[in-house]
Amino acid sequence: MQVDTVQQEPGAAPAGASRRDELHRPWRRRFPLLPALVFTVLLTQIPFLMNIWYSLTDWTIVPPAPRTFIGLDNYGDLPDDQFFRDAAWVTVVMTVTAVIASLVLGTLLALLLDRKFFGQGVARTLLITPFLIMPVVAGLVWKNQMFSGLYGVVNWVTARLGMDSIEFVSRYPLASIVVVLVWQWTPFMMLIMLAGLQSQPAEVLEAAKVDGASAVGTFRQLTLPHLRPYMELGTLLGTIYLIQVFDHVAVMTGGGPDSTNIPYFVYQRSIGGGWEFGKASAYSIVVVVASIVVATVALRVLSRLLQGEEIA
Amino acid sequence: MTATSQSTWRRRAVRVLAVAAVGLAAVACGDDDDDGAEPGGSGEAPSGEGGEITVAIVGNPQMEDISALTPDLFTAETGIDVNYSVLEEGTLREIVTRDIGGGGEQFDVVMIGMYEAPQFGENGWLTDLTPYAEDDTSYQVDDLIPTVREGLSVEGKLYASPFYAESSFLMYRTDVLEAAGVTMPDNPTWDEVAEIARAVDSDQMAGICLRGKPGWGDLGASFTTVLNTFGGTWWSANEDDTVAEAQVNQPEFKEALQFYVGLINDAGEDDAANASFNECLAQYRDGKVAMWYDATVAAGLLEANDSPVKGLNGYATAPVKETDASGWLWSWALAIPQNSPDPDTAWQYISWATGPDYIKAAGSQISGGWAAIPPGTRASTYEIPEYQEAAGAFADATLEAMEAAPIDNPGTTPRPGVPGVQYVGIPEFQDVGNRCTEQFSSVIAGGASIDAALSACQDIASEVAG
Repeated sequence: MQVDTVQQEPGAAPAGASRRDELHRPWRRRFPLLPALVFTVLLTQIPFLMNIWYSLTDWTIVPPAPRTFIGLDNYGDLPDDQFFRDAAWVTVVMTVTAVIASLVLGTLLALLLDRKFFGQGVARTLLITPFLIMPVVAGLVWKNQMFSGLYGVVNWVTARLGMDSIEFVSRYPLASIVVVLVWQWTPFMMLIMLAGLQSQPAEVLEAAKVDGASAVGTFRQLTLPHLRPYMELGTLLGTIYLIQVFDHVAVMTGGGPDSTNIPYFVYQRSIGGGWEFGKASAYSIVVVVASIVVATVALRVLSRLLQGEEIA
Repeated sequence: MTATSQSTWRRRAVRVLAVAAVGLAAVACGDDDDDGAEPGGSGEAPSGEGGEITVAIVGNPQMEDISALTPDLFTAETGIDVNYSVLEEGTLREIVTRDIGGGGEQFDVVMIGMYEAPQFGENGWLTDLTPYAEDDTSYQVDDLIPTVREGLSVEGKLYASPFYAESSFLMYRTDVLEAAGVTMPDNPTWDEVAEIARAVDSDQMAGICLRGKPGWGDLGASFTTVLNTFGGTWWSANEDDTVAEAQVNQPEFKEALQFYVGLINDAGEDDAANASFNECLAQYRDGKVAMWYDATVAAGLLEANDSPVKGLNGYATAPVKETDASGWLWSWALAIPQNSPDPDTAWQYISWATGPDYIKAAGSQISGGWAAIPPGTRASTYEIPEYQEAAGAFADATLEAMEAAPIDNPGTTPRPGVPGVQYVGIPEFQDVGNRCTEQFSSVIAGGASIDAALSACQDIASEVAG
């Protein structure tokens, strides 16, 4: 209520208002938001600043040692750290393959769901379900009920096809985790692509049909270009989230070659047994910087998308 | 700006301020409520009769039993209320290390392992229990099994009181070995065990179950006992028992790993790279493996009334190669953080929970019966007639393994971090052990070569020495 009335002020203000008032006016409008803003800053930015400070120190609590300032040494050591490089590579492979695969599958499912058929609502709900399942649960269910060599569904099927049972999670850890990530994130991509498909103007498609364009031609020349910004958005949002995957790694493999990504590595180096908070902070800062870069691009795409909507 | 609009603005500002103030007050009240509701968060136990303590324990069956019996057997006697935080092993280790290492006062009593007790004691994080134990006649400190007591002490100071202790030995199916026409010596070597495992291995039943799951307390524990007796070590020691150099690249280490991985590949269980205590227990009980090298506490579960393999098992000492004994030693023990506000009340609880009387009282009251009491801590446990009857098949073998555990000199060369058999008692081992066993587990799964794993592990272990 207050917000509404305050917002009317600028229009109502007489021309003779002082320069000082002009400057203050935006803050009057923001004032009701301040408690929330201060709260957010306290809870997110101060820990982040402390994290930056920690990353400049040599700090281990087991064995207990005084925290000493060492400047950028933690960052300088990064390129030489073979295990950090491995973890970074796993993060890249995990994120890129999972995002691309779920985007392709999500697009295909969205194309199917865009058609009218009996039970469409039920099918859509069922397809969304994997995204609503907790990551820990998804990881455990896949590891034990699907991939297990002794009683897993996948091995039961391959055994019927005459193949030997394979311990997927221990033999192919990265691929197993990616499969679960794709299973969870396909619905997310599908929803974005579905929104894109449903915003496609019907008259354009109708005109194409009247002109005698084939279905494939229509898809390639009209639908795909229209979907491009949506694909970019899905890719970038998916990347921001998947860079941070931790739960799946923790419950499926508990780390190891080809499955320790940077978030899990940070955990291992800090409270997971390494107790080197200085180094772990430096690793996590690297992830934050990478995420910010991706997020900045994502926001640009998002604003372009919104502008495009206005024109249409 | 006109006078009217200014006063309107002022009124609005006041209204906004009032709303904000009410909001802040509500937040503040909420905080107060939270503080009041947090159980034992401040560590300020109400004074007077009895009192109240908060105890962090690991969630294993014996601890679940004691938490169920505490109100009747302890609180009723002393008036001390006990709040338990039951945590999973890894979480407990994280929380306890953060809490007492960081100077928190969350717990009056914490359960720690034999790996932590001497280190935390040396760091000055724990209260020395020796004076309490010696003044308390009902505690009977001399009844503790010597190796266990030594493993929880630094320079004669006892820092944690053992609640439960175990060693490792070899369990095998007597019927299967008999059918195959082989016999197991009482004190076998690893070469003999490997030969028998390969001989009895078949499509329906694997020869032996060995831990292959990453983790310093999983694969790390089993493998390190093998490594010790093969003459290898993780690190060499300086004169003052500190870490000198990583020894993962030495031939003995490679030989031990090749033996371990080779045995699993030839005659090991299914899905070995995911198998630890629980997985092997399930496979052994299902008749899918003929032998199993693991903790002595497993025997109680194999001989339990509901076990399909009850009465079919033989027990041999932990297999050896270059040394005389190779069994590990582990204990879950209760300790009092240095900053505990009321160590006397905390000791009252520890004295009851780890004393001889609880063991006697538990035997007739817990659902698992006498075979399920916390074993391995006291010589007197093995003299209880009911326990001898219930645990006759394995009690002697367990006691023998506990007493023989080579905690001061587990291998053939000097090493840092003793006492300790299946781990190196230095703070960095948890991390090194976890990361190296990830590499070894990957070899067991077939994802990496032994040489690559050893080279990566040497790098990891060298970070400590450097």
